[in-house]
Amino acid sequence: MVSVWQTPELSDEIIKGDEIFESTTCIVADIVSAKIDIMCLVQNMAGVLTSKEVEYREKGMRFFTKVLKELPKDYLTQMQVRFISNFYTDRLRDYHRVIPPVLEGYLAIFEMENYDMQKSGEFLRALFREVPCQSQVRQDRLNIYLIIKKLLEKDVEHMKSMGPNFAYGFISAMDGERDPRNLLFLFEFIPTFLRHIPLGHLVDGMFEVISCYYPIDFHPSPDDPQAVSRQDLADELGPCLCAIPEFGEQCLILLIDKLDSTLRTAKMDSLKLLALSCRTFKAEAYGPFLKALWSSLNREISHKTDDELKMSAHEALSTLIAKLATSANTDQVFENFIKGILISMQTAIAESTTVAQLVQATKVLLTTANASNESCVIVTKAMIPAALAYYELNPSPKLQIATLDFLGDLNDITKHWEVTEQIEKQIIEIPQLCLTAVSQPSKEYQIAGFKTLIRVKSVLQSELVLPFVEVLIHNIQHSQENDVLSVSVEAVHAIARKYPELIMSYVVKGKCDLDNLTRDKDALQKRLNLLSNLASIDDFTKVIIEEMLKVITSDDQDASKVVEALSESMSNASLYTVQKVTQIESDYGLINSILTWLLKELSSTTKESLTHGFALISNTMSSLPAEKQQIVLSKHMQFVLEKSKTEESYFVVLECLYNSLHETVYEPNFPDIMSLSLQWALLSDNDEIRNKACGLVAHFLNKAPFGDKFDALYEVLKNHLSSCNRDDEQLCPKVIMLYGWIAKALVLRGSDMFHFWLQKIIAVLSHPNYTKLGAKAIHLIMTDFPDHLNAKYHCRISLLYRQRMFQNFSVLTEKLAVSCQTKESVLLSWAYILERAPKSVLNNEIKKVAPLVIDSLLFDNKDLLLVMTDVLSHFVKTKHMVIADSTQTILPRLLVLTKYVKSMDVRINSLQCLFDIANTYPTQLVLPYKQDVLFDLAPSLDDKKRLVRNMAVKARTRWFLIGAPGEPTPN
Amino acid sequence: MTKIADNLNPHVYEKESERTITSTDHDEDVVDEFDEREIFDIIRNINDPEHPLTLEDLRVLEEKNITVNNNENTVHVNFTPTIPHCSMATLIGLSIRVQLLRALPSRFKVSVTVTEGTHASEHAVNKQLADKERVAAALENNNLVQIINQCVSPL
Repeated sequence: MVSVWQTPELSDEIIKGDEIFESTTCIVADIVSAKIDIMCLVQNMAGVLTSKEVEYREKGMRFFTKVLKELPKDYLTQMQVRFISNFYTDRLRDYHRVIPPVLEGYLAIFEMENYDMQKSGEFLRALFREVPCQSQVRQDRLNIYLIIKKLLEKDVEHMKSMGPNFAYGFISAMDGERDPRNLLFLFEFIPTFLRHIPLGHLVDGMFEVISCYYPIDFHPSPDDPQAVSRQDLADELGPCLCAIPEFGEQCLILLIDKLDSTLRTAKMDSLKLLALSCRTFKAEAYGPFLKALWSSLNREISHKTDDELKMSAHEALSTLIAKLATSANTDQVFENFIKGILISMQTAIAESTTVAQLVQATKVLLTTANASNESCVIVTKAMIPAALAYYELNPSPKLQIATLDFLGDLNDITKHWEVTEQIEKQIIEIPQLCLTAVSQPSKEYQIAGFKTLIRVKSVLQSELVLPFVEVLIHNIQHSQENDVLSVSVEAVHAIARKYPELIMSYVVKGKCDLDNLTRDKDALQKRLNLLSNLASIDDFTKVIIEEMLKVITSDDQDASKVVEALSESMSNASLYTVQKVTQIESDYGLINSILTWLLKELSSTTKESLTHGFALISNTMSSLPAEKQQIVLSKHMQFVLEKSKTEESYFVVLECLYNSLHETVYEPNFPDIMSLSLQWALLSDNDEIRNKACGLVAHFLNKAPFGDKFDALYEVLKNHLSSCNRDDEQLCPKVIMLYGWIAKALVLRGSDMFHFWLQKIIAVLSHPNYTKLGAKAIHLIMTDFPDHLNAKYHCRISLLYRQRMFQNFSVLTEKLAVSCQTKESVLLSWAYILERAPKSVLNNEIKKVAPLVIDSLLFDNKDLLLVMTDVLSHFVKTKHMVIADSTQTILPRLLVLTKYVKSMDVRINSLQCLFDIANTYPTQLVLPYKQDVLFDLAPSLDDKKRLVRNMAVKARTRWFLIGAPGEPTPN
Repeated sequence: MTKIADNLNPHVYEKESERTITSTDHDEDVVDEFDEREIFDIIRNINDPEHPLTLEDLRVLEEKNITVNNNENTVHVNFTPTIPHCSMATLIGLSIRVQLLRALPSRFKVSVTVTEGTHASEHAVNKQLADKERVAAALENNNLVQIINQCVSPL
């Protein structure tokens, strides 16, 4: 059968209706399979394409365009494309109704492979001449822009050769465009257009057409699903206005004008535009406008309440200066501009009476100095002497301290630009001022002075070292304030790096009198602290450590003080790195000396000073690499092991040697030590020993590699436990705690074996007599200890172990029979788990957790209430509706808790929950309770603790706003 | 309605630091008495009706202008308008009163007045603020309550 498109009836079909439009795919298929020639098709369409009725011609063009769009891009020959292109160009002269399909069709035509660019000129000329772009509908206007954009992308050179006519055509086409989507498209395209097409005499015209949109003032319609926002348009318009250097003058005039506008958005846009323009415009372009620009920028920078505006102004100023600096060598303008800023800021500084005002001015100067190398030199040269003078003249402490900070900042910037040498003459004065500051008795002065000194330490002159050292040593010996102490130590460090010999002679030998360390008892502890801190500096390590170890080994009565000082300093990781500790151990045999001392003193010295010794050994051990650990062990193990079998005090020594081993260290006698630890864990009546023994058991179980080594240890454990007497009431609590340690060690390494031990603990929970111990064991599993089972001691810590605990506990307790005696402990165990479990897990399990939380609010248990109110507050803040559904139950319980006598923290937490509820849930939900809550909150306003009252005020004033006029709307 | 603010570019002062929390604050057994600082903390963050600034920023309220007597249960607050003919003085005073009414225990008798010699119609404002019935009547006015609530609600 012959299809209709193979006959001239096609024209009638098209005129008749739209059905034929459905069959274009078949037509295209026919064309491609050469069943019909495209020329034939056109001839068959002749009737409709040349019809006298506009409507039919439009239909014909629409049909033809559809066919063209569906044709493969490479099918038509050059000849055919040229013919069709001519036809379409000709059609532009037709009635306006015919234009839309013509435009659409042409978009398809020049996508074709055989399209001849020469044809484009003709088409564009006709287009610009015959079609008034702005009289078309939105989509057609977009098609016109698309045609221009695509042609430019296809062949830039050809488009350039068309000369200003092309630019003129484009400018007049887009002039007056009002649709935001089209504008967004145009703004994205214009910078590319401007970069490629020379405008010639049309620069002014082009700028005028774009600049009329500036600043964008546009509000998208609220029900537009894909609204273009004001910000989108503004972001795209900026680059258009400063796309080419030729726009310089006009653009700057425009933005200065808009900077003075009262509209905030106009200011913001102008500041952004200024920063952006520096990328394209030449430095010279700004010359005539600098005065006006600075006065506007200065006004925005000194804005009091709008921080965003202030930040933008700073950014604009910074880029502007960086730009101007590029012409610093050829032009006086740059220097004059910076000097202008200096003068106005110096005036501002001189007039400032509050720190806020001072900081505002200094910030501008810092921005200026930070922008470029050249500006940095000018600003710091002028400002360092000025700031020094200001400090002298100004009596207000706060301002003086702020000045010190400012000097430190200036110094940092000179370092950043590496211009320190050029302004050394000025910077060198700063340490002198720091000295004046730290000579004041007030703590604030000292801290600020030392902090600045640390920053400018590189220019510290040797003659100033002595006076500084005087103040520092006085501080370190007498100051009670922790922050002064630490900053003083830091300052000594800084000076010592610069002048090691001076500090050595003044401090180590002089003030601390290292050579007769213990003869002078005065402030011995503080001197020791200083010395042990200083020992972390390489130059001093040898002298100090050797002297200290001499004291420790020589049976001196002050040895314990030395050990304490060393232990405290060396555990501070910011002073002593792992490498440093290792080096000290291998160079001076630290552990050996301490151990000798410990073993000797074990029976005589107080427990506290021994503790420092143990801490020092275990810290040093943990820093050593595995091989060194093994060497230390082989040296001391035998003796200590034998001793600790009978005496529990020796066991502590054993523990501090073994608890920080690497996973890889394993010795054949580990099962013996394990068995020994188990023995003390269950036998000792001393809590501390038992704790350490349990800890050591846990360390072994956590670190031993799976396989024979682990199995051997686990076997020891099982045998030992099965040999215990089950009826011994005394033993029960100890065993339960041991279960806790075992479960913790196993869950930390991510082993499923912990399940077995957790089950045992949960079984304990349901036993009325021991239920509290069960909760304690759970607490133990969930808590982090500073001296057991953590990364510092090389334990295996799997990710998400708390989450595993949460999930396993939650499954295991499902079947647990809870009586009224055990309920509190079960909830308390839950509390320990919830406290530490990641909040995201709780959010997923809210259906399970929420009832527990609500139940818990009835119990008189401080720990339980604290955790549960905390979790409740978290749920409320994340707007869970499960909680919202129970407000009727929760609110009265919380209100009772606001009067909980035993703990102020519970009172505060419950008030916090009440605040959160009012602040989070919709008005209609909480309004019914408003009056009751307000009434019940009144007594809390008169609570005896101020912190409770503060929270009560917060909660009550928030509840007052519910449903009242002026209620804050949730965002 | 765009009313231009009375004082377009007010001077912004430094904020006091937050009250430092001492160990006695956490001691369950110590009774903390109300002091000037606590009253100041309750009202320092009230917003100015004209600017996005607090009364503390503008130094309308200062700790030294507050007196508390725990034994006689009285609180007295003096506030200082930024300029002598500030039309907002009564509104500011009313906001302070409302906030204290909500946040202090009922045992306290609160009085709020303009600092002497800082406002053109000082006596009229003081009289209005002291008159219980006028204050109560003002709080019946929804528009007024709305403005006050916006002032006292945390930003």
